[in-house]
Amino acid sequence: MTTNADVRERGVGVRFERLSVRREGRLILDEITASAPCGGATVIVGPNGAGKTTLLRCLLEETEYSGHIEFVSFDGDRATRPVLGYVPQHLFADAQMPLRVYEFLSLNAEKKPLWLGCSPKNRRRSRELLELVGAEKLENQRLGDLSGGELRRVLLASALGRRPRLLALDEAEAGVDYRGERLFWELLDKSRRELGFTLLMVSHNLPLAAHYATHVICVKKEMIAQGAPRSTLTASTLLELFGVPIHLYPNQCENPGPICAGCGALGNLAYSDNIDGDITS
Amino acid sequence: MDFSGVYALLGLLPFDTLEPRFMRQALLGLLFLSPMTAMLGIHVLNFRMAFFSDAGGHSAFAGLAIGLILGAPPQTAVLVFGVVIGLGIMAAQRKSGLSPDAAIGIVFSAVVAFGLAVVSRAPSLARDIQQYLYGDILTVTESELTILALLLVALCLFEFWGWNRLLAVALSPSLARIEGRSAGLWQYLFAAILALVVMFSVRAVGVLLVTAMLVVPASAGRKLAWSMRGLFWWSIAVSVSSSVIGLMLSAQEWMATASGATIILVSCLWFAASCLWAAFKRSRN
Repeated sequence: MTTNADVRERGVGVRFERLSVRREGRLILDEITASAPCGGATVIVGPNGAGKTTLLRCLLEETEYSGHIEFVSFDGDRATRPVLGYVPQHLFADAQMPLRVYEFLSLNAEKKPLWLGCSPKNRRRSRELLELVGAEKLENQRLGDLSGGELRRVLLASALGRRPRLLALDEAEAGVDYRGERLFWELLDKSRRELGFTLLMVSHNLPLAAHYATHVICVKKEMIAQGAPRSTLTASTLLELFGVPIHLYPNQCENPGPICAGCGALGNLAYSDNIDGDITS
Repeated sequence: MDFSGVYALLGLLPFDTLEPRFMRQALLGLLFLSPMTAMLGIHVLNFRMAFFSDAGGHSAFAGLAIGLILGAPPQTAVLVFGVVIGLGIMAAQRKSGLSPDAAIGIVFSAVVAFGLAVVSRAPSLARDIQQYLYGDILTVTESELTILALLLVALCLFEFWGWNRLLAVALSPSLARIEGRSAGLWQYLFAAILALVVMFSVRAVGVLLVTAMLVVPASAGRKLAWSMRGLFWWSIAVSVSSSVIGLMLSAQEWMATASGATIILVSCLWFAASCLWAAFKRSRN
Protein backbone atom coordinates (compact mmCIF):
# COMPACT_ATOMS: atom_id res chain seq x y z
CA MET A 1 0.00 0.00 0.00
CA THR A 2 1.51 3.32 -1.00
CA THR A 3 0.70 6.48 0.85
CA ASN A 4 0.05 9.75 -0.91
CA ALA A 5 3.51 11.04 -0.13
CA ASP A 6 5.12 8.01 -1.79
CA VAL A 7 3.10 8.59 -4.92
CA ARG A 8 4.04 12.24 -5.02
CA GLU A 9 7.71 11.36 -4.73
CA ARG A 10 7.55 9.20 -7.86
CA GLY A 11 7.38 12.20 -10.18
CA VAL A 12 10.62 13.49 -11.67
CA GLY A 13 10.87 17.20 -12.49
CA VAL A 14 12.71 18.91 -15.35
CA ARG A 15 14.84 22.01 -15.52
CA PHE A 16 15.57 23.67 -18.86
CA GLU A 17 18.64 25.86 -18.70
CA ARG A 18 19.44 28.44 -21.35
CA LEU A 19 17.87 26.24 -23.95
CA SER A 20 18.13 27.52 -27.52
CA VAL A 21 17.04 25.91 -30.73
CA ARG A 22 18.07 27.10 -34.14
CA ARG A 23 16.60 25.62 -37.29
CA GLU A 24 17.92 26.55 -40.72
CA GLY A 25 19.47 29.67 -39.25
CA ARG A 26 16.23 30.79 -37.66
CA LEU A 27 16.03 31.08 -33.89
CA ILE A 28 13.07 29.02 -32.65
CA LEU A 29 13.77 29.15 -28.93
CA ASP A 30 16.03 31.73 -27.32
CA GLU A 31 17.71 30.92 -24.01
CA ILE A 32 14.74 29.39 -22.25
CA THR A 33 15.27 28.82 -18.56
CA ALA A 34 12.26 27.20 -16.95
CA SER A 35 11.30 24.26 -14.83
CA ALA A 36 8.52 21.76 -14.32
CA PRO A 37 8.44 20.98 -10.59
CA CYS A 38 8.34 17.39 -9.36
CA GLY A 39 4.93 15.81 -9.27
CA GLY A 40 3.22 18.97 -10.49
CA ALA A 41 1.18 19.82 -13.54
CA THR A 42 3.11 22.30 -15.65
CA VAL A 43 1.44 23.85 -18.67
CA ILE A 44 3.39 25.53 -21.47
CA VAL A 45 1.41 28.50 -22.81
CA GLY A 46 2.09 30.73 -25.78
CA PRO A 47 0.85 31.77 -29.22
CA ASN A 48 1.16 29.62 -32.34
CA GLY A 49 4.75 29.30 -33.49
CA ALA A 50 6.10 30.27 -30.06
CA GLY A 51 8.15 27.09 -29.84
CA LYS A 52 5.98 25.23 -27.31
CA THR A 53 6.09 21.93 -29.16
CA THR A 54 9.78 22.47 -29.89
CA LEU A 55 10.41 22.68 -26.15
CA LEU A 56 8.76 19.28 -25.74
CA ARG A 57 10.75 17.92 -28.67
CA CYS A 58 13.96 18.97 -26.89
CA LEU A 59 12.84 16.98 -23.88
CA LEU A 60 12.16 13.97 -26.11
CA GLU A 61 15.59 14.45 -27.71
CA GLU A 62 14.04 14.77 -31.13
CA THR A 63 15.66 18.03 -32.03
CA GLU A 64 19.09 19.51 -31.52
CA TYR A 65 19.47 22.25 -28.95
CA SER A 66 22.09 24.16 -27.02
CA GLY A 67 21.83 24.52 -23.25
CA HIS A 68 20.97 21.89 -20.68
CA ILE A 69 18.06 19.76 -19.65
CA GLU A 70 18.32 18.45 -16.11
CA PHE A 71 16.06 16.08 -14.27
CA VAL A 72 15.30 16.67 -10.63
CA SER A 73 14.10 14.17 -8.06
CA PHE A 74 11.62 14.93 -5.31
CA ASP A 75 14.29 15.79 -2.71
CA GLY A 76 15.93 18.27 -5.07
CA ASP A 77 18.82 16.07 -6.21
CA ARG A 78 19.72 15.65 -9.82
CA ALA A 79 18.12 12.55 -11.27
CA THR A 80 18.94 10.39 -14.26
CA ARG A 81 16.71 10.49 -17.30
CA PRO A 82 13.40 9.07 -16.08
CA VAL A 83 10.92 6.83 -17.86
CA LEU A 84 9.09 9.23 -20.14
CA GLY A 85 5.53 8.95 -21.31
CA TYR A 86 4.44 10.85 -24.38
CA VAL A 87 1.06 11.70 -25.85
CA PRO A 88 1.59 12.93 -29.43
CA GLN A 89 -0.56 15.42 -31.32
CA HIS A 90 -1.92 12.76 -33.62
CA LEU A 91 -1.25 9.37 -35.15
CA PHE A 92 -0.59 8.74 -38.81
CA ALA A 93 -3.35 6.15 -39.01
CA ASP A 94 -5.84 6.64 -41.80
CA ALA A 95 -9.44 5.65 -41.24
CA GLN A 96 -9.06 2.59 -43.45
CA MET A 97 -6.42 0.92 -41.30
CA PRO A 98 -8.16 -1.87 -39.36
CA LEU A 99 -6.04 -1.30 -36.25
CA ARG A 100 -8.03 -2.14 -33.11
CA VAL A 101 -7.51 -0.26 -29.87
CA TYR A 102 -6.34 -3.40 -28.04
CA GLU A 103 -3.87 -4.10 -30.84
CA PHE A 104 -2.50 -0.58 -30.61
CA LEU A 105 -2.07 -0.88 -26.84
CA SER A 106 -0.27 -4.23 -27.22
CA LEU A 107 1.99 -3.01 -29.99
CA ASN A 108 5.02 -2.37 -27.81
CA ALA A 109 4.39 -4.88 -25.07
CA GLU A 110 3.83 -7.83 -27.38
CA LYS A 111 6.91 -9.84 -28.32
CA LYS A 112 5.17 -11.72 -31.10
CA PRO A 113 4.07 -9.85 -34.22
CA LEU A 114 0.45 -8.70 -34.13
CA TRP A 115 -0.43 -10.98 -37.05
CA LEU A 116 -0.09 -13.93 -34.69
CA GLY A 117 -2.60 -12.29 -32.36
CA CYS A 118 -2.35 -10.78 -28.88
CA SER A 119 -1.61 -12.96 -25.88
CA PRO A 120 -4.32 -13.14 -23.16
CA LYS A 121 -1.89 -11.39 -20.83
CA ASN A 122 -1.63 -8.38 -23.13
CA ARG A 123 -5.38 -8.33 -23.76
CA ARG A 124 -5.82 -8.08 -19.99
CA ARG A 125 -3.19 -5.37 -19.77
CA SER A 126 -4.92 -3.34 -22.51
CA ARG A 127 -8.22 -3.62 -20.67
CA GLU A 128 -6.63 -2.44 -17.41
CA LEU A 129 -5.01 0.54 -19.14
CA LEU A 130 -8.32 1.50 -20.71
CA GLU A 131 -10.01 1.27 -17.31
CA LEU A 132 -7.46 3.77 -16.00
CA VAL A 133 -8.71 6.33 -18.50
CA GLY A 134 -12.37 5.34 -18.33
CA ALA A 135 -12.42 4.02 -21.88
CA GLU A 136 -12.87 0.26 -21.46
CA LYS A 137 -15.73 0.36 -23.97
CA LEU A 138 -13.28 1.27 -26.73
CA GLU A 139 -11.26 -1.94 -26.52
CA ASN A 140 -12.52 -3.47 -29.76
CA GLN A 141 -13.02 -0.25 -31.72
CA ARG A 142 -11.03 0.64 -34.79
CA LEU A 143 -8.60 3.44 -34.07
CA GLY A 144 -9.81 5.29 -37.17
CA ASP A 145 -13.41 5.33 -35.89
CA LEU A 146 -12.60 7.08 -32.60
CA SER A 147 -13.56 10.68 -31.95
CA GLY A 148 -10.83 13.18 -31.13
CA GLY A 149 -11.51 12.90 -27.41
CA GLU A 150 -11.58 9.11 -27.44
CA LEU A 151 -8.28 8.95 -29.31
CA ARG A 152 -6.71 11.25 -26.69
CA ARG A 153 -7.79 8.83 -23.99
CA VAL A 154 -6.38 5.83 -25.81
CA LEU A 155 -3.08 7.65 -26.39
CA LEU A 156 -3.00 8.55 -22.71
CA ALA A 157 -3.66 4.91 -21.76
CA SER A 158 -0.78 3.86 -23.99
CA ALA A 159 1.54 6.41 -22.39
CA LEU A 160 0.50 5.38 -18.87
CA GLY A 161 1.32 1.79 -19.81
CA ARG A 162 5.00 2.67 -19.50
CA ARG A 163 4.49 3.78 -15.87
CA PRO A 164 6.13 7.13 -16.63
CA ARG A 165 7.79 9.36 -14.06
CA LEU A 166 7.37 12.27 -16.43
CA LEU A 167 4.50 12.58 -18.86
CA ALA A 168 4.78 14.94 -21.82
CA LEU A 169 1.58 15.87 -23.65
CA ASP A 170 1.38 17.71 -26.90
CA GLU A 171 -1.75 19.55 -27.80
CA ALA A 172 -4.47 17.59 -29.58
CA GLU A 173 -4.56 18.46 -33.24
CA ALA A 174 -8.10 17.34 -33.92
CA GLY A 175 -10.78 19.35 -32.20
CA VAL A 176 -12.02 18.10 -28.86
CA ASP A 177 -15.12 19.91 -27.62
CA TYR A 178 -15.04 21.87 -24.42
CA ARG A 179 -16.79 19.20 -22.41
CA GLY A 180 -14.40 16.51 -23.67
CA GLU A 181 -11.43 18.75 -22.98
CA ARG A 182 -12.59 19.46 -19.44
CA LEU A 183 -13.13 15.75 -18.72
CA PHE A 184 -9.70 14.96 -20.14
CA TRP A 185 -7.96 17.46 -17.87
CA GLU A 186 -9.89 16.07 -14.93
CA LEU A 187 -8.67 12.61 -15.88
CA LEU A 188 -5.08 13.83 -16.21
CA ASP A 189 -5.29 15.45 -12.80
CA LYS A 190 -6.67 12.29 -11.23
CA SER A 191 -4.06 10.01 -12.86
CA ARG A 192 -1.27 12.35 -11.82
CA ARG A 193 -2.39 12.27 -8.21
CA GLU A 194 -3.01 8.53 -8.15
CA LEU A 195 -0.07 7.25 -10.19
CA GLY A 196 2.44 9.94 -9.34
CA PHE A 197 4.18 11.56 -12.29
CA THR A 198 5.23 15.01 -13.32
CA LEU A 199 3.02 16.39 -16.05
CA LEU A 200 4.37 18.73 -18.70
CA MET A 201 1.87 19.71 -21.34
CA VAL A 202 1.32 22.19 -24.12
CA SER A 203 -2.07 23.83 -24.20
CA HIS A 204 -4.01 26.68 -25.72
CA ASN A 205 -6.77 26.33 -23.19
CA LEU A 206 -6.13 29.15 -20.73
CA PRO A 207 -9.13 28.68 -18.43
CA LEU A 208 -8.35 25.00 -17.93
CA ALA A 209 -4.66 25.74 -17.47
CA ALA A 210 -5.57 28.31 -14.85
CA HIS A 211 -7.76 25.78 -13.10
CA TYR A 212 -5.60 22.64 -13.19
CA ALA A 213 -1.99 23.73 -13.56
CA THR A 214 0.29 23.99 -10.56
CA HIS A 215 2.88 25.82 -12.64
CA VAL A 216 2.80 27.59 -15.99
CA ILE A 217 5.60 28.44 -18.43
CA CYS A 218 4.86 31.31 -20.83
CA VAL A 219 7.03 31.28 -23.93
CA LYS A 220 7.10 33.31 -27.10
CA LYS A 221 10.41 32.30 -28.61
CA GLU A 222 11.96 33.65 -25.43
CA MET A 223 10.97 33.22 -21.84
CA ILE A 224 8.11 35.55 -20.85
CA ALA A 225 7.19 34.33 -17.36
CA GLN A 226 6.77 31.27 -15.19
CA GLY A 227 5.21 30.49 -11.85
CA ALA A 228 1.88 29.69 -10.25
CA PRO A 229 -1.01 30.32 -12.67
CA ARG A 230 -2.65 33.07 -10.69
CA SER A 231 0.47 35.16 -10.35
CA THR A 232 1.73 34.36 -13.87
CA LEU A 233 -1.24 34.43 -16.21
CA THR A 234 -1.85 38.10 -15.48
CA ALA A 235 -3.48 40.44 -17.92
CA SER A 236 -0.16 42.11 -18.74
CA THR A 237 1.66 38.81 -19.35
CA LEU A 238 -1.18 37.55 -21.53
CA LEU A 239 -1.19 40.81 -23.47
CA GLU A 240 2.54 40.41 -24.06
CA LEU A 241 2.08 36.78 -25.12
CA PHE A 242 -0.93 37.06 -27.39
CA GLY A 243 -1.08 40.74 -28.25
CA VAL A 244 -4.74 41.07 -27.28
CA PRO A 245 -6.32 41.81 -23.90
CA ILE A 246 -7.26 38.60 -22.10
CA HIS A 247 -8.43 38.73 -18.52
CA LEU A 248 -8.43 35.32 -16.93
CA TYR A 249 -8.76 36.73 -13.44
CA PRO A 250 -11.12 39.72 -13.53
CA ASN A 251 -9.53 41.41 -10.53
CA GLN A 252 -6.21 41.53 -12.35
CA CYS A 253 -7.42 43.77 -15.12
CA GLU A 254 -5.23 46.81 -15.22
CA ASN A 255 -7.86 49.00 -16.79
CA PRO A 256 -8.61 51.50 -14.03
CA GLY A 257 -12.27 51.95 -14.88
CA PRO A 258 -15.06 50.08 -13.12
CA ILE A 259 -15.69 47.93 -16.22
CA CYS A 260 -12.98 47.24 -18.79
CA ALA A 261 -14.02 48.58 -22.18
CA GLY A 262 -11.92 45.92 -23.91
CA CYS A 263 -13.27 42.80 -22.29
CA GLY A 264 -16.19 43.71 -20.12
CA ALA A 265 -14.42 42.38 -17.02
CA LEU A 266 -14.48 44.32 -13.81
CA GLY A 267 -11.55 46.66 -13.59
CA ASN A 268 -8.84 46.76 -11.03
CA LEU A 269 -10.19 49.72 -9.10
CA ALA A 270 -13.74 48.50 -8.91
CA TYR A 271 -12.60 45.20 -7.55
CA SER A 272 -10.13 46.42 -4.98
CA ASP A 273 -12.29 49.29 -3.77
CA ASN A 274 -15.48 47.33 -3.46
CA ILE A 275 -14.11 43.89 -2.88
CA ASP A 276 -17.36 42.75 -1.36
CA GLY A 277 -19.51 45.82 -1.77
CA ASP A 278 -21.66 47.20 -4.54
CA ILE A 279 -19.64 46.78 -7.72
CA THR A 280 -22.09 47.97 -10.32
CA SER A 281 -21.90 51.67 -9.50
CA MET B 1 18.38 -25.19 -55.16
CA ASP B 2 16.69 -28.27 -56.57
CA PHE B 3 13.00 -27.73 -57.17
CA SER B 4 12.28 -30.97 -59.11
CA GLY B 5 10.42 -32.47 -56.15
CA VAL B 6 8.21 -29.39 -55.97
CA TYR B 7 7.54 -29.55 -59.72
CA ALA B 8 6.49 -33.19 -59.39
CA LEU B 9 4.17 -32.16 -56.59
CA LEU B 10 2.68 -29.30 -58.64
CA GLY B 11 2.28 -31.75 -61.53
CA LEU B 12 -0.12 -33.73 -59.38
CA LEU B 13 -2.58 -30.84 -59.46
CA PRO B 14 -5.46 -31.68 -61.82
CA PHE B 15 -4.78 -28.89 -64.31
CA ASP B 16 -3.75 -29.58 -67.90
CA THR B 17 -2.24 -26.13 -68.10
CA LEU B 18 0.48 -27.22 -65.67
CA GLU B 19 1.73 -29.87 -68.11
CA PRO B 20 4.64 -27.83 -69.50
CA ARG B 21 7.54 -27.35 -67.14
CA PHE B 22 7.71 -23.57 -67.63
CA MET B 23 4.15 -23.32 -66.32
CA ARG B 24 5.12 -25.14 -63.17
CA GLN B 25 8.13 -22.90 -62.80
CA ALA B 26 5.98 -19.83 -63.25
CA LEU B 27 3.46 -21.11 -60.71
CA LEU B 28 6.20 -21.77 -58.18
CA GLY B 29 7.66 -18.31 -58.77
CA LEU B 30 4.28 -16.74 -58.10
CA LEU B 31 3.76 -18.86 -54.99
CA PHE B 32 7.01 -17.39 -53.67
CA LEU B 33 6.43 -13.86 -54.89
CA SER B 34 2.76 -13.18 -54.16
CA PRO B 35 2.83 -13.65 -50.35
CA MET B 36 5.81 -11.30 -50.26
CA THR B 37 4.09 -8.53 -52.20
CA ALA B 38 1.06 -8.90 -49.92
CA MET B 39 3.09 -8.61 -46.70
CA LEU B 40 5.11 -5.69 -47.99
CA GLY B 41 2.03 -4.01 -49.41
CA ILE B 42 0.63 -3.66 -45.89
CA HIS B 43 3.66 -1.63 -44.81
CA VAL B 44 3.60 0.30 -48.08
CA LEU B 45 0.06 1.46 -47.30
CA ASN B 46 0.85 2.14 -43.63
CA PHE B 47 3.77 4.34 -44.61
CA ARG B 48 1.80 5.89 -47.50
CA MET B 49 4.60 5.07 -49.92
CA ALA B 50 2.83 3.50 -52.89
CA PHE B 51 4.79 5.93 -54.99
CA PHE B 52 7.99 4.36 -53.69
CA SER B 53 7.26 1.06 -55.38
CA ASP B 54 6.47 2.86 -58.60
CA ALA B 55 9.78 4.70 -58.47
CA GLY B 56 11.63 1.51 -57.56
CA GLY B 57 10.04 -0.33 -60.45
CA HIS B 58 10.91 2.37 -62.93
CA SER B 59 14.50 2.40 -61.78
CA ALA B 60 14.75 -1.02 -63.45
CA PHE B 61 15.42 0.85 -66.70
CA ALA B 62 18.34 2.71 -65.22
CA GLY B 63 19.67 -0.53 -63.74
CA LEU B 64 19.52 -2.03 -67.20
CA ALA B 65 21.39 0.96 -68.61
CA ILE B 66 24.10 0.88 -65.96
CA GLY B 67 24.55 -2.84 -66.50
CA LEU B 68 25.02 -2.08 -70.18
CA ILE B 69 27.64 0.59 -69.53
CA LEU B 70 29.57 -1.45 -66.97
CA GLY B 71 29.18 -4.66 -68.93
CA ALA B 72 27.51 -6.38 -65.96
CA PRO B 73 24.73 -8.90 -66.45
CA PRO B 74 21.48 -6.91 -66.74
CA GLN B 75 19.53 -8.98 -64.17
CA THR B 76 22.10 -8.36 -61.45
CA ALA B 77 22.53 -4.70 -62.33
CA VAL B 78 18.77 -4.18 -62.10
CA LEU B 79 18.58 -5.78 -58.64
CA VAL B 80 21.57 -3.92 -57.22
CA PHE B 81 20.49 -0.57 -58.62
CA GLY B 82 16.95 -1.12 -57.35
CA VAL B 83 18.23 -1.66 -53.81
CA VAL B 84 20.42 1.44 -54.00
CA ILE B 85 17.48 3.58 -55.15
CA GLY B 86 15.24 2.04 -52.47
CA LEU B 87 17.68 2.85 -49.67
CA GLY B 88 18.15 6.36 -51.05
CA ILE B 89 14.42 7.05 -51.04
CA MET B 90 14.08 5.67 -47.51
CA ALA B 91 16.90 7.92 -46.30
CA ALA B 92 15.24 10.95 -47.89
CA GLN B 93 11.90 10.06 -46.33
CA ARG B 94 13.33 9.53 -42.84
CA LYS B 95 15.30 12.73 -42.93
CA SER B 96 12.71 15.15 -44.21
CA GLY B 97 9.78 13.63 -42.33
CA LEU B 98 7.66 15.17 -45.05
CA SER B 99 5.69 13.54 -47.79
CA PRO B 100 8.46 12.79 -50.26
CA ASP B 101 6.24 12.74 -53.34
CA ALA B 102 7.91 15.58 -55.16
CA ALA B 103 11.44 14.39 -54.42
CA ILE B 104 10.66 10.86 -55.57
CA GLY B 105 8.87 12.21 -58.62
CA ILE B 106 11.90 14.15 -59.74
CA VAL B 107 14.44 11.46 -58.95
CA PHE B 108 12.52 8.76 -60.67
CA SER B 109 11.84 10.78 -63.79
CA ALA B 110 15.58 11.38 -64.00
CA VAL B 111 16.29 7.70 -63.49
CA VAL B 112 13.79 6.57 -66.13
CA ALA B 113 14.96 9.15 -68.66
CA PHE B 114 18.58 8.16 -68.12
CA GLY B 115 17.74 4.49 -68.53
CA LEU B 116 15.71 4.97 -71.67
CA ALA B 117 18.33 7.28 -73.19
CA VAL B 118 21.16 4.79 -72.71
CA VAL B 119 19.13 1.75 -73.68
CA SER B 120 17.76 3.44 -76.81
CA ARG B 121 21.33 3.56 -78.14
CA ALA B 122 21.48 -0.25 -78.07
CA PRO B 123 18.78 -1.75 -80.30
CA SER B 124 19.68 -5.23 -79.10
CA LEU B 125 18.13 -4.39 -75.75
CA ALA B 126 14.73 -3.54 -77.19
CA ARG B 127 13.47 -7.04 -76.32
CA ASP B 128 14.62 -6.62 -72.71
CA ILE B 129 12.76 -3.35 -72.47
CA GLN B 130 9.60 -5.12 -73.57
CA GLN B 131 10.14 -7.70 -70.89
CA TYR B 132 10.44 -5.01 -68.21
CA LEU B 133 7.45 -3.05 -69.44
CA TYR B 134 4.99 -5.93 -69.52
CA GLY B 135 6.71 -8.57 -67.42
CA ASP B 136 6.98 -12.25 -68.21
CA ILE B 137 6.76 -14.71 -65.36
CA LEU B 138 6.75 -17.61 -67.84
CA THR B 139 10.48 -17.13 -68.47
CA VAL B 140 11.50 -17.20 -64.80
CA THR B 141 14.76 -19.12 -64.35
CA GLU B 142 15.85 -21.67 -61.77
CA SER B 143 18.38 -19.28 -60.27
CA GLU B 144 15.71 -16.61 -59.92
CA LEU B 145 13.49 -19.14 -58.17
CA THR B 146 16.30 -19.85 -55.73
CA ILE B 147 16.69 -16.17 -54.94
CA LEU B 148 12.93 -15.82 -54.52
CA ALA B 149 12.82 -18.76 -52.10
CA LEU B 150 15.64 -17.30 -50.00
CA LEU B 151 14.00 -13.89 -50.09
CA LEU B 152 10.74 -15.38 -48.87
CA VAL B 153 12.50 -16.98 -45.90
CA ALA B 154 14.29 -13.72 -45.11
CA LEU B 155 11.06 -11.74 -45.35
CA CYS B 156 9.21 -14.13 -43.05
CA LEU B 157 11.91 -13.70 -40.41
CA PHE B 158 11.82 -9.95 -40.93
CA GLU B 159 8.05 -9.85 -40.57
CA PHE B 160 8.26 -11.87 -37.37
CA TRP B 161 10.80 -9.62 -35.65
CA GLY B 162 10.08 -6.29 -37.25
CA TRP B 163 6.34 -6.10 -37.85
CA ASN B 164 5.24 -4.41 -34.62
CA ARG B 165 8.23 -2.11 -34.78
CA LEU B 166 7.46 -0.92 -38.30
CA LEU B 167 3.81 -0.38 -37.47
CA ALA B 168 4.78 1.65 -34.40
CA VAL B 169 7.05 3.85 -36.51
CA ALA B 170 4.38 4.28 -39.18
CA LEU B 171 1.85 5.40 -36.55
CA SER B 172 4.12 7.89 -34.80
CA PRO B 173 7.89 8.07 -35.14
CA SER B 174 8.17 10.15 -31.94
CA LEU B 175 6.12 7.70 -29.92
CA ALA B 176 8.12 4.78 -31.29
CA ARG B 177 11.35 6.47 -30.23
CA ILE B 178 10.07 7.04 -26.71
CA GLU B 179 9.10 3.40 -26.52
CA GLY B 180 12.64 2.44 -27.43
CA ARG B 181 11.44 1.30 -30.83
CA SER B 182 13.56 3.48 -33.04
CA ALA B 183 13.65 1.49 -36.19
CA GLY B 184 16.28 2.92 -38.52
CA LEU B 185 17.85 -0.44 -39.25
CA TRP B 186 14.46 -2.10 -39.75
CA GLN B 187 13.28 0.64 -42.07
CA TYR B 188 16.36 0.28 -44.25
CA LEU B 189 16.05 -3.50 -44.24
CA PHE B 190 12.42 -3.06 -45.25
CA ALA B 191 13.42 -0.71 -48.06
CA ALA B 192 16.03 -3.17 -49.32
CA ILE B 193 13.69 -6.17 -49.27
CA LEU B 194 10.93 -4.08 -50.83
CA ALA B 195 13.25 -2.97 -53.62
CA LEU B 196 14.26 -6.57 -54.36
CA VAL B 197 10.67 -7.78 -54.33
CA VAL B 198 9.64 -4.88 -56.55
CA MET B 199 12.29 -5.88 -59.08
CA PHE B 200 11.02 -9.44 -59.14
CA SER B 201 7.47 -8.17 -59.44
CA VAL B 202 8.63 -6.22 -62.49
CA ARG B 203 9.70 -9.55 -63.94
CA ALA B 204 6.25 -10.97 -63.19
CA VAL B 205 3.82 -8.20 -64.14
CA GLY B 206 5.95 -5.40 -65.63
CA VAL B 207 6.81 -1.86 -64.64
CA LEU B 208 3.36 -0.60 -65.55
CA LEU B 209 1.56 -2.85 -63.09
CA VAL B 210 4.08 -3.38 -60.32
CA THR B 211 2.39 -1.02 -57.85
CA ALA B 212 -0.85 -2.95 -58.17
CA MET B 213 0.93 -6.12 -57.06
CA LEU B 214 1.73 -4.43 -53.73
CA VAL B 215 -1.19 -2.12 -53.16
CA VAL B 216 -4.26 -4.02 -54.39
CA PRO B 217 -4.09 -7.09 -52.08
CA ALA B 218 -3.41 -4.95 -49.01
CA SER B 219 -6.22 -2.56 -49.94
CA ALA B 220 -8.67 -5.43 -50.39
CA GLY B 221 -7.39 -6.82 -47.07
CA ARG B 222 -8.16 -3.53 -45.35
CA LYS B 223 -11.78 -3.77 -46.52
CA LEU B 224 -12.18 -7.42 -45.57
CA ALA B 225 -10.26 -7.63 -42.30
CA TRP B 226 -11.55 -6.97 -38.81
CA SER B 227 -8.14 -6.34 -37.27
CA MET B 228 -4.48 -5.95 -38.19
CA ARG B 229 -4.09 -9.67 -37.69
CA GLY B 230 -6.88 -10.27 -40.18
CA LEU B 231 -5.38 -7.75 -42.56
CA PHE B 232 -2.15 -9.74 -42.72
CA TRP B 233 -3.81 -13.04 -43.60
CA TRP B 234 -6.48 -11.60 -45.89
CA SER B 235 -3.88 -9.73 -47.93
CA ILE B 236 -1.87 -12.90 -48.42
CA ALA B 237 -4.98 -14.87 -49.34
CA VAL B 238 -6.03 -12.27 -51.92
CA SER B 239 -2.54 -12.00 -53.38
CA VAL B 240 -1.81 -15.73 -53.68
CA SER B 241 -5.23 -16.62 -55.02
CA SER B 242 -5.11 -13.79 -57.59
CA SER B 243 -1.71 -14.96 -58.81
CA VAL B 244 -2.68 -18.61 -59.12
CA ILE B 245 -6.08 -17.95 -60.71
CA GLY B 246 -4.61 -15.27 -62.97
CA LEU B 247 -1.85 -17.55 -64.23
CA MET B 248 -4.25 -20.43 -64.86
CA LEU B 249 -6.75 -18.22 -66.67
CA SER B 250 -4.14 -16.61 -68.86
CA ALA B 251 -3.03 -20.03 -70.07
CA GLN B 252 -6.51 -21.12 -71.13
CA GLU B 253 -6.94 -21.30 -74.87
CA TRP B 254 -10.05 -19.15 -74.83
CA MET B 255 -8.23 -16.44 -72.81
CA ALA B 256 -4.66 -16.47 -74.12
CA THR B 257 -3.88 -13.17 -72.36
CA ALA B 258 -0.66 -11.87 -70.82
CA SER B 259 -0.22 -13.55 -67.44
CA GLY B 260 0.84 -10.39 -65.55
CA ALA B 261 -2.15 -8.35 -66.66
CA THR B 262 -4.53 -11.22 -65.93
CA ILE B 263 -3.16 -11.60 -62.40
CA ILE B 264 -3.71 -7.91 -61.69
CA LEU B 265 -7.21 -8.06 -63.18
CA VAL B 266 -8.16 -10.90 -60.85
CA SER B 267 -6.83 -9.04 -57.81
CA CYS B 268 -8.77 -5.93 -58.86
CA LEU B 269 -11.91 -8.08 -59.00
CA TRP B 270 -11.07 -9.15 -55.43
CA PHE B 271 -10.82 -5.49 -54.49
CA ALA B 272 -14.20 -4.68 -56.08
CA ALA B 273 -15.76 -7.58 -54.19
CA SER B 274 -14.19 -6.39 -50.93
CA CYS B 275 -15.68 -2.91 -51.46
CA LEU B 276 -19.12 -4.45 -51.93
CA TRP B 277 -18.61 -6.53 -48.80
CA ALA B 278 -17.57 -3.47 -46.79
CA ALA B 279 -20.60 -1.53 -48.04
CA PHE B 280 -22.86 -4.47 -47.14
CA LYS B 281 -21.38 -4.62 -43.63
CA ARG B 282 -21.85 -0.87 -43.17
CA SER B 283 -25.47 -1.04 -44.28
CA ARG B 284 -26.23 -3.71 -41.67
CA ASN B 285 -24.83 -1.61 -38.81
